[in-house]
Amino acid sequence: MILSSLCIAYAGLLALALAMDRHHEQVFARRPSARTSRLLGWAGWLALALSLPPAVMAWGWAIGIPAWLGLLTVAAAALVLLLSHAPRAALRLGPVALVCAPFPTLLG
Amino acid sequence: MTTLPSRLRFGPDGRRCLDVASRSLAGIGGGYALAAVAAMFLALALPMPRAEAVYTATMLSFVIHAGAVVWAFAVRSRWVWPGLLAPTLLLGGGTWLLHGLQQGAPS
Amino acid sequence: MKDGFRQSMAWLHTWSGLLLGWLLFAVFLTGTIAYFRQEVTVWMQPELHGSVPDAGTAERAVERMGQLAPDASQWTIALPGERTPAVSVSWRPADAKPNDRAALKRATLDAGTGAVLEPRETAGGNFLYRFHFELYGMPRETARWIVGIATMAMLVAIVSGIITHRRIFKDVFTFRPEKSALRSWMDGHVAAAVLALPFHLMITYSGLLLFMTMLMPWAVDLAYDGDRQAYFAESGFRRAASTPRPAPQTAALTPVAPLLAEADRRWADRGGVGSLTVTNPGRANATIELRPAESDSIGRGAATERLLFDGVTGQALEAPPADPQPAAMATGNYLMGLHLARFAGPGMRWLFFVSGVAGTVMVGSGLILWVVKRRSQRGRAENWAAGPEPFGHRLADRLNIGVVAGLPLAVAAYFWANRLLPVGLEERAGWEIGVFFLTWAAALLHAPLRPSRRGWAEQLWIGAALFTLLPVLNLATAAGHLGNSLPAGNWLLAGFDLTALAVGLLLGFAARKVGRNAFARKSAPAPVLPAGAVVEEPT
Repeated sequence: MILSSLCIAYAGLLALALAMDRHHEQVFARRPSARTSRLLGWAGWLALALSLPPAVMAWGWAIGIPAWLGLLTVAAAALVLLLSHAPRAALRLGPVALVCAPFPTLLG
Repeated sequence: MTTLPSRLRFGPDGRRCLDVASRSLAGIGGGYALAAVAAMFLALALPMPRAEAVYTATMLSFVIHAGAVVWAFAVRSRWVWPGLLAPTLLLGGGTWLLHGLQQGAPS
Repeated sequence: MKDGFRQSMAWLHTWSGLLLGWLLFAVFLTGTIAYFRQEVTVWMQPELHGSVPDAGTAERAVERMGQLAPDASQWTIALPGERTPAVSVSWRPADAKPNDRAALKRATLDAGTGAVLEPRETAGGNFLYRFHFELYGMPRETARWIVGIATMAMLVAIVSGIITHRRIFKDVFTFRPEKSALRSWMDGHVAAAVLALPFHLMITYSGLLLFMTMLMPWAVDLAYDGDRQAYFAESGFRRAASTPRPAPQTAALTPVAPLLAEADRRWADRGGVGSLTVTNPGRANATIELRPAESDSIGRGAATERLLFDGVTGQALEAPPADPQPAAMATGNYLMGLHLARFAGPGMRWLFFVSGVAGTVMVGSGLILWVVKRRSQRGRAENWAAGPEPFGHRLADRLNIGVVAGLPLAVAAYFWANRLLPVGLEERAGWEIGVFFLTWAAALLHAPLRPSRRGWAEQLWIGAALFTLLPVLNLATAAGHLGNSLPAGNWLLAGFDLTALAVGLLLGFAARKVGRNAFARKSAPAPVLPAGAVVEEPT
C-alpha cells in the first residue's frame, strides 16, 4: 500500500515537473507545447489524487493524510535530486514506478 | 538585500534603525498583548463549554500573534502602533464587560 | 508598493529566521533524532541486545513481578516490540500515593529469561529528546520559554517566507548544484522548505500548542480565576488515576496466557499487546488491563481501546469507555499527537524522520544562505574593495560552522562516549552528556580559529569519520553489531548502524565538496560556502 502510494506520487510529481518549461527542457532539451504542458499537468494532478487512496486504506484518514504528505515529500525529494543529476533516469523511473505501483498492494 | 526594503527605508540609517526597532517591539510585544487579550475575550465570548472556549481561544491566539508580527512589518510605519493598540483596547474593553457580566454585576 | 511589501516580508523572513536560527537548528536536529529515541536508547544499552522475546515473555514477566514486587499496588509491564527488545517494568509500592510518579520503581527484564538486566547508566535518546524542548542545565521553565520564543520566530519565518516566495511552487523541483553557490543554496533551501511545508507548519504550530498553557496562560487564568488544575481536570487532560484500594483478602492471579491470546487475536493488525497493567496483584480485587502496541488514535491524551479483565477469575470486565473529546481538543490533540508521533509505526516514523531532516536542512541552509548572500554581494567588484569582511558576517559564518557542522559532531561524540566511558563510572550518564557539550564547545571554539572553508571541511570530516565508524565501534564493543543484527533481521539495531553510516557518508560528501572548493579557489575573492561547485556571480 505504502509503496503503491509512493510510486503513483512519484509519477504524478514527475508529470507536474514535465509540465513546467524549465524541467521539460532539462529532460527533453525543448519546451513543451501548450497542449502537452496542459495534459501533463492534468495527468500529474490526477496521479497525485490517486496516490492518496492507498495511504488512507493503509492507515485510515487520521494517520493516512499526514502519511501521504510525508510520502509526497519523499517522492519529491527523490525527483528533485534525480532531475538535477540524472534527468533521463528521472524520466525513465516514471513509467517504471507507475507499472510497479499495483504490485505492493496486490502482494499485500 | 543591500537595497533596503523601501517601506523600511526611512531616510538616514538612524531613522531606519528606529523604525525597525519600533516595528519589532510592536510586533513582538504589542502582538503578544493583542493575542493575550484576544484569547481572554474569545474564552469568554465563544459559545462553547468553558474548557473548550478557553482551549480554542488559546489555540487561535498563537495565530493572532504570528499574524500581528507579520502585519507590523507589512504596513506603513505610522499605522503600526495604532493598528495594534486599537483592537487590543477594544478587545480589552469587551473582555472587561463580559467578565463583569458573567460575574453578576459589572465590577 | 507591492515590491515594498515583499521586500519587507523578505527582511522579516531573513531576520526572524537568523536570530534564533542556530537554536532552531539544534531543536530541529535533536528533535528529529528524538523520533527514534527509544531505538537510540536501546543502541546505547548493549546489555539489552541479547534479550530475545518469545511467546512466553509476557507470562514470564508477570511471574517475575510476583517475586520482585509481591506487595506493590500496581505493576505496569511494557512488552518488547519493534522498538525495544527488553521488558520494561515499573511498580508502585503499596505505601506510595496514587499520583506520585517519583515513587514508581523501575527495572528492565530480559525477555527470554525474565532475569533483571543491569543496563549501563545512560540518558540515551532521552537526552536528545529532552534537549529539543528543555535544553540542558537551566531551569525547565526558562528553557521552555526560550524554545517557545524560538518556535514563534519559526512560525513567523515560515509565514513571511511563504509570502516572500509566492512563486516557490514554481521552483519547487528546481535544484541547480552546477549554478552559483548562492543559486544552489537558495534552491536547496526552497526545496527543503516547500517539499515538507505541511510538516513544518504542523511541527511548529503544534510545538507552540504543547506549551500553550505556559506561553499563553491568560485565557485559562481569566476563565478559571487562576485555578489551572480545575481547567486541566475539566478539559480532560489530567485524569486522576483512580486505583481501588487493595482488598484485604489475598487471591492468586489468574494465568495471563489466555487473556493475552484473546487480545493478540483482536489486535493482530496493531502489533498485538503492548503493555499490561495489573492493579492490586495478589488481592481478591485484582484487575488486569491490556493495551495494544500501536494506538489507533493519534491524539495526545486520547484514550486508546483497552481490555480489562478480572485478575482472579480472568473474566472480561467492561473497560472504561474512551472519553469522546470536543472538537477543539480533538483538533489540538491531533496536532500535538502528530508532533509527538507516539502512535507511529515504523513506516510512519521514518516519514516523520525524513520530514524532520528536511526541516533541519531548511534551517541550516537558511543560515548558510544568509552568509553566502552577503559574501556574493561583497564579491561584486565595487564592493570587494570595501575592506575586510564585516564582523557580523564572520560571526554568523563561524556560528554556522560550530552549529551546522559542530552539532552533528557533538551527537556523534555522545554516541562514542556511550561506548568508550567505563561502564561502572560514577555519574556515567552525566559524563556522556558532558562529552556532548565539551565536543560542541570545542567545535564552536575551533570555528573562529580556522579560515572559513578549512573550518567547515575539518569539522565535517571529523563528523563524517565519527559517524561512519560508529558501526565499527558497535562491532568492537557490543554483540548487536551489523554482523549479527542483519542476519537476525534485527532492524532495530541494524537501522541505527546503517543510518549512522549514511549520515557519515553524507557528511563526508559535504566535506569533500567544501574541501575541494577551498583548495581550488584559494585566492578567489568570494569565499562562498560548501555549496555546489563553481563560484560565480549570481544571475
